[in-house]
Amino acid sequence: MPAAAQRPEHSQPPVLALEGIHKTFGGVVALQSFDLEIEAGEVVALVGDNGAGKSTVVKIIAGMLHPTSGRLRLDGADITFADPSESQARGIQVVYQDLALADGQPVYMNMFLGRERVIGPLRRLDRRGMIAETAELVQALDVRIPSVRARVRDLSGGQRQGVAIARATHWARKLVLMDEPTAALGVAETARVEANIRSLKERNLAILLISHSLDQVFRLSDRICVLRRGVQVGVRRTNATSNNEIVSMITGLS
Amino acid sequence: MLSALRATEPAKYVIYVGFLAIFALFAVALRDSGFLTTANLLNIIQQTTSVTVMAVATVFVLTVGEIDLSIGSVVAIAALVAAVTMREFPWPLGVLAGLAAGVAIGFVNGALVAYVRLPSFLVTLATMGLLAGVARSLTNLQSVPVEDDVFNALFGSAALLGIPSLVLWSVAAVGIGHFVFRETRFGAHVHATGDNAGAARAGGVKVERIRLACLVVSSTCAALAGLLYAGRLHGARYTLGETDLLTVIAAVIVGGTRLSGGAGSVPGALIGSLLMGMLNNGLILMGLSVSDQMIVRGFIILAAVALTLRDRTR
Amino acid sequence: MLERIISKTAVFAGTIAFAAGLPLTGASAQETKGPGGETATPANALMLSDAEVAKIKEGKYSAALLWHTSSDFVNAVTAGASDEFSRLGVTIVATTDAGFDAAKQKSDVETVMAKKPSVILALPLDPVASAEAFRPAVAAGTKLVLLSNVPKGYVQGKDYVAIVTDDLFQMGKQAADALAAALGKKGKVAWIFHDAQYYVTNQRDNAFKTTIEKDYPDMKIVATAGITDPARAQDIAQALLTKTPDLDGIYVTWAEPAEGVLAALRAAGNTKTKIVTLDLSEPVALDMVKGGNVAAITADKAYELGRAMATAAGYGLIGKAAPAFVVAPALTATKANVAQAWQDSLHRDAPKSVTAALK
Repeated sequence: MPAAAQRPEHSQPPVLALEGIHKTFGGVVALQSFDLEIEAGEVVALVGDNGAGKSTVVKIIAGMLHPTSGRLRLDGADITFADPSESQARGIQVVYQDLALADGQPVYMNMFLGRERVIGPLRRLDRRGMIAETAELVQALDVRIPSVRARVRDLSGGQRQGVAIARATHWARKLVLMDEPTAALGVAETARVEANIRSLKERNLAILLISHSLDQVFRLSDRICVLRRGVQVGVRRTNATSNNEIVSMITGLS
Repeated sequence: MLSALRATEPAKYVIYVGFLAIFALFAVALRDSGFLTTANLLNIIQQTTSVTVMAVATVFVLTVGEIDLSIGSVVAIAALVAAVTMREFPWPLGVLAGLAAGVAIGFVNGALVAYVRLPSFLVTLATMGLLAGVARSLTNLQSVPVEDDVFNALFGSAALLGIPSLVLWSVAAVGIGHFVFRETRFGAHVHATGDNAGAARAGGVKVERIRLACLVVSSTCAALAGLLYAGRLHGARYTLGETDLLTVIAAVIVGGTRLSGGAGSVPGALIGSLLMGMLNNGLILMGLSVSDQMIVRGFIILAAVALTLRDRTR
Repeated sequence: MLERIISKTAVFAGTIAFAAGLPLTGASAQETKGPGGETATPANALMLSDAEVAKIKEGKYSAALLWHTSSDFVNAVTAGASDEFSRLGVTIVATTDAGFDAAKQKSDVETVMAKKPSVILALPLDPVASAEAFRPAVAAGTKLVLLSNVPKGYVQGKDYVAIVTDDLFQMGKQAADALAAALGKKGKVAWIFHDAQYYVTNQRDNAFKTTIEKDYPDMKIVATAGITDPARAQDIAQALLTKTPDLDGIYVTWAEPAEGVLAALRAAGNTKTKIVTLDLSEPVALDMVKGGNVAAITADKAYELGRAMATAAGYGLIGKAAPAFVVAPALTATKANVAQAWQDSLHRDAPKSVTAALK
């Protein structure tokens, strides 16, 4: 494996570095000595079959799970996240496979979920401010929804994903984790989400993308990390590998 | 209130319309029976104050996706604790003791639900029975009189500028409840937690803390309801609040709060509570037999529920 | 929970002790006395002359009935009061059921006062709370006739017209007499009492026990068991029978648990042990009529009680001095008089199953 693929040369420390991450659930090994670095402005794809441990990686980075051993470094400094609010505070955002939107609430409240804005001495919710900012954001990202006051339940799958990505875009300072962002979408909607991802990259954010679609992975990513049954099989530069190599790494058949 | 109306979906208007319709019906049918007198209308509000206070809290509990069945028992315990304390100590201590009992019970309920992760239905079903037993044994089934005039005035019969204190308690509970529910981050987190706890947690909401808080609010409001009963009756008894649970839940649901969490309405709960009180009052004034009162009340509540819940998409 | 179970039975004419908590048993231990030690006046001693009835009719008065619960007993009292009120030309404008809730009772008083009734018949649920609850009625000059209970500090003749109650001591005593008659005044007896502080059941239970101990030297109470939940009566009776299989008779505090005791006896194939209980109930009466374990049922004349309350209200309306404390008599139902007993107690025909079994 070329050294350059694993550790691209940069003067700055990587945005996120995972070192020797190990995770077991009551004796069952979900993830084994996992190492990965992600640079600013880089899209790293995480691929593997169901149960390979991809979502475990995402949840550990987001602070929803705690590694059994190993360490996380953010901008070169050791860090642990007690819960998702701490990872968010450090500029990490997640677009979950199951969206993580509160269906009964309006779009703008979802946009500010957990970080609602308040004004005045009574600390009232600044609904007007949140609505205006959300409207601006969805327009900038070309997320086409009837109204930011609409409840998420009344939106289509693509619109919901648009909202979820818009939210991540809004709050991410360093890193966006995307867990199957287009799994439930049609062709046009997928194209729009992919455009969103590219625009995040242009804003110099680091992106970790989980996807079942190798085509999509090859379209978007700079590097590809392959997991099989909790074991890191390898990392490849996207422009230096082939679909066949990745498939054989995923399946373990050559 | 108006902003609340605007912010809610059209189906929720129905309860307000239904309330006015029933009110108009009683006003016409009972025009000679004193229904429309100021005294009688104030009576309705005063009679429902305790239920209203509990209904406001129950909006939070149901919206966060939990339920609190123990409120009726907390009413009796808080009233008895306050009454017994006031035998020996000045009334503010009685009030504090009663409310403290509510807060403590809420913490136990909340901790078991939020942190031990037991279903609230079963936890509060158990504490309901347990606390009813405690209430019975607290004074050995005896009533405890409350003879402190200041307490009885404040929590019962006083009036400010001609407005009875119980009416003011109702207004305060609904006003504060509505503000917290709609206008604060806490309220937003209650909504989000009940709607999708996973999403709320992923968004950084401390879901457990919100659940705990809702159960503490519920229990504390039930304790306040107990104090209001004690002030109104100049005494406390272990049977206080025993029959309130279902009235409270009916009022809250009729008022447009979803049993499955994620959405609720404090003004709706007020209307629901007043509707229950108005039905009691109007049907008695109609001179119906007790059985007929129950039948008619059942039909009207059924109609109200059908109208409120019919258009709701699930 | 218990409250609701109990409220289904006819037992709960009153829930708690008279305000003053004075003993009801006088020197003779057979006489029911009022809360202030007043001598009991039999219900049938209340009389209104034709002229007085006419005078009441002229007043076009109205009445409200503020009951504590809904039950057979309350229905019979209501029927008695309604019949008497219609004879007196008094309209009943409201009827309420407080469901044993003192707070609801206060609301009920407030609500019916909107109709300005001339008379209120009520069972005050709680001496303390009801003193507060009935104050608006007293202040408005409404005549109060009370059932069994009196609000704390209320004065007869000023705040209320009269107290009317059922003869609880006689009910318990007659149960003892009936069991003695069935057993030939000798044998081993079990006493199943209501294990709670409730005036009505406590009075009746103790009257039974006292009577056996004082009047029947050859009868022994060899086993006692308290119940709080009638649904558990069968288990308790089973345990009792296991411990003392040679019981001759069992007293059960009221009819609903008596059904459980009966079930236990049947399950054990026991046809010998006799049961006495209180308050008429179809299943219990049916067993009695069919010659089963049940020897007798004692009850109160609830209809008569309601009628007496309405008559007392008439006294109040025309300013006639009423006796302070009126008692409706108790009765014993056996196979011989069960149909009549239903009429006397509840003022309605005995259930069809019971009359059919008599034939």
